[in-house]
Amino acid sequence: MQETPEAKKPQWAMVIDLDRCTGCEACVVACHAENNVRIAGEEEAARGRSVNWIRVERYLEGEYPDVKVRFMPVMCQHCEEAPCEPVCPVYATYHSDEGLNAQVYNRCVGTRYCANNCPYTVRFFNFFPAQWPEPLWKALNPEVSVRSRGVMEKCTFCIQRIRKGEEKAKDEGRDVRDGDVNPACVQSCPTRAMSFGNIADPASEVSRLSKSGRASRLMEELGTKPKVIYLNRGE
Amino acid sequence: MRSWKVISVLIAVAIVSVIFLSGVIGKPYEPVQPIAFDHWLHTSKQPDPNQSDTDPAPQLKCEDCHEHADKSRYATIPNVSKCMQCHETMKTDRPEVQKLAAIAARSEQPAWARVYWIDKSADVFFTHKPHIRAGVDCAVCHGPVDQMHRVRREVDHSMGWCIECHRQKKVSVDCSICHR
Repeated sequence: MQETPEAKKPQWAMVIDLDRCTGCEACVVACHAENNVRIAGEEEAARGRSVNWIRVERYLEGEYPDVKVRFMPVMCQHCEEAPCEPVCPVYATYHSDEGLNAQVYNRCVGTRYCANNCPYTVRFFNFFPAQWPEPLWKALNPEVSVRSRGVMEKCTFCIQRIRKGEEKAKDEGRDVRDGDVNPACVQSCPTRAMSFGNIADPASEVSRLSKSGRASRLMEELGTKPKVIYLNRGE
Repeated sequence: MRSWKVISVLIAVAIVSVIFLSGVIGKPYEPVQPIAFDHWLHTSKQPDPNQSDTDPAPQLKCEDCHEHADKSRYATIPNVSKCMQCHETMKTDRPEVQKLAAIAARSEQPAWARVYWIDKSADVFFTHKPHIRAGVDCAVCHGPVDQMHRVRREVDHSMGWCIECHRQKKVSVDCSICHR
């Protein structure tokens, strides 16, 4: 690979302002619709096998009636030092030059080492073939593959939208900028708690927000260097 | 009993070798099309100056009919109305053109047999647009279609073949460029 074009590659990152998150779960619904994420069902969910590329964690603080509810959307953190990557024996998960933690479904042999090594539990295994009751399979997104049985799946930062945005920027003969790429969760967030963009570009919104005093990363102490940055909630 | 085994093995070997030698295996895929559309006739045929009125040579370019190749994921097979733009008046005496006209009159499309495709299980999201814009000739991936009377699958679209070209052209070989 050449040095120069890679240096210019965008580095995708997301900033989530927890002060704005109302826990409405619109992002979860949008993600399911966009990425053909199957509905595991009640029985499977009870076994801890529910599939949600993004989930909204809920924390209750204090005693009734002084209860504070805090929400936190958690998806694949696209760690720069991802614990899932070195454990894959077949290189099905790897780090792309755009800072994405990519999952190649064709390569995956289903060892599930990656999910076991992920501190954020954001990887999901297809124990069964995905089934889409009539007529829901007609609503599948043609831009995204439907994962087969025996492979691991996870948030891709809506790579299909990233490719589309990059293509658009290329057609217009410019670099990617804010607004070119919006993953489904970011697009659907009613309070605009999430923003997505190129953190390598100092003018981008994510780059600006990541320098905020409230910025922190999930389980930073593990040294995974996540690409999702949370802006802490004020008291 | 032993001789029976030997004979049956010999027969099996004979059948397999006959199949191989007859050329059934390894012959390029060449489906029969509902209308015997001749690519050579429409693209490469040279006009005969003496018979230019009765035997025209349209000399079309690929993108004249597959007009979305540089704009979208699919090169697209033209709508039958595109064929009828010319064949409303041209060569209406030919049986194949009459078949086409009959399909157009019913507002239907010919059920063209696909020659190249990617299996859905491959999870490949190929897009024509960037390849055309990068100046890749159609023949690189589709073979000399302009010399074919009936289209054959002359190029093997395997992943190794894609990667080889991507490496030569120094474009990304990141998995997630195609697989997602």
